[in-house]
Amino acid sequence: MLIPVSEEKNRYGLLALSCTVNGRRTEREIPSNRSLLEFIREDLGLKGTKEGCGEGECGACLVLVDGKAVNSCLMTASQLQGRKLVTIEGLKGRDGGLHPLQKTFMAEGAVQCGFCTPGLIIASEALLRRKPKATLEDIKLELTGNLCRCTGYEKILSAVEKARGKLHKCRK
Amino acid sequence: MPEIIVKPSSLKELWKTLPGLPADRKYLAGGTDLVTAANAGADNASCWLDIGGLPELGVMKETAGTLFIGSGVKLSAIQASSAVRKWCPVLYAALPHFASPSLRNMATLGGNAANGSPCADGVCALVAEDANVCLELKGKKRTLPLAELFLGPKRTALKKDELITGFTVSKRKRAGAYLKLGPRSYFGISKAAVALSAELSAGKIIKAVVALGSVAPVPLRAAKTSAWLAGKELSAQTARAAAGLVKKEVSPITDARSEAGYRREMCGVLLERALLSLPGAAK
Repeated sequence: MLIPVSEEKNRYGLLALSCTVNGRRTEREIPSNRSLLEFIREDLGLKGTKEGCGEGECGACLVLVDGKAVNSCLMTASQLQGRKLVTIEGLKGRDGGLHPLQKTFMAEGAVQCGFCTPGLIIASEALLRRKPKATLEDIKLELTGNLCRCTGYEKILSAVEKARGKLHKCRK
Repeated sequence: MPEIIVKPSSLKELWKTLPGLPADRKYLAGGTDLVTAANAGADNASCWLDIGGLPELGVMKETAGTLFIGSGVKLSAIQASSAVRKWCPVLYAALPHFASPSLRNMATLGGNAANGSPCADGVCALVAEDANVCLELKGKKRTLPLAELFLGPKRTALKKDELITGFTVSKRKRAGAYLKLGPRSYFGISKAAVALSAELSAGKIIKAVVALGSVAPVPLRAAKTSAWLAGKELSAQTARAAAGLVKKEVSPITDARSEAGYRREMCGVLLERALLSLPGAAK
């Protein structure tokens, strides 16, 4: 598959992007050099995914692509072709309400300014999908790419530990 | 970001596509270095070739004597491979210290090598594994010892459009260690890193390869220290002497991450610890 290169208008290659976003088949024509983060925030209007550092250091922009956590600031939207994207808006509990991680983050006071929270929840979700019985050490290692400058991490770790076990029960 | 991104679906299609593309083009592998550079305005290529869809680069395969790791295999997949665990002990030890879990879901060894940074963890580990790098340009293949790919900081022996297709490591039983000193235990760029592989027998080192990161213009294969270690007892005394030797082999600089003198000293400390961490080392 070659991305069709269009010389019209702006010399930008246009890409007919076809992917799944939070369970829905999505097709958009976008410039092939669009970053995944821009695509999510500007084209799809999903503002839950944040831009922190823009260089892969902070984890605020994490999303799931084919079930794996990735830094959307360092991906091009074209790399999403044919794949499944899940953003923080796509996480839900069994009853359609808040996801268990969202509930435990609230209950444990793991959120202060909230900017890092979507990324932390996505990273934790990726871990608990892969390893439902993750240990505290596993959780710490998984979150090494996520920075929080408010909470001091203890409450975050505690929130992930509390969600562990609840999580795989509610997944389809 | 470039003006266009083109994504060929096979190597054959890649070579066919090249002549029609702008001259200032670059390969996009995992993107963790290239997109960062573009976001910072440090990369101005007008065309990227996304090689993420090339099936030839995404494979790992074993033959009787070697393990081939495709240049496009994601680091997280390499980390999960039992063949890597068995035959690449240094790489296996290095991967948990390579960036973060999400970046390891994106980054590739091909990108790590092509970027040409002296601090590349994956590359230093593979140099200690005595890996070869497999290159291809318009169907023409060549193989180099990996250490010879690097000419200086961010400078490699890659010709224009030449592509790293993978790495081969010989399947020989050996022990390995990777010790990295950074600003924190995980997810940092190293001030100094030591990669060590060793074939051991009855408390003796049959063969050892020491490679170092962030302490020379290139990922350094410490040839003298490696040669000296062959035939030595695996002991505290050997480890201390090797530490003294390796400090003479590195040429660190002072930069934003650390100071030359400290880096040199730490190369000795890390190598001593790496040797003493090997199975059967007399503490």
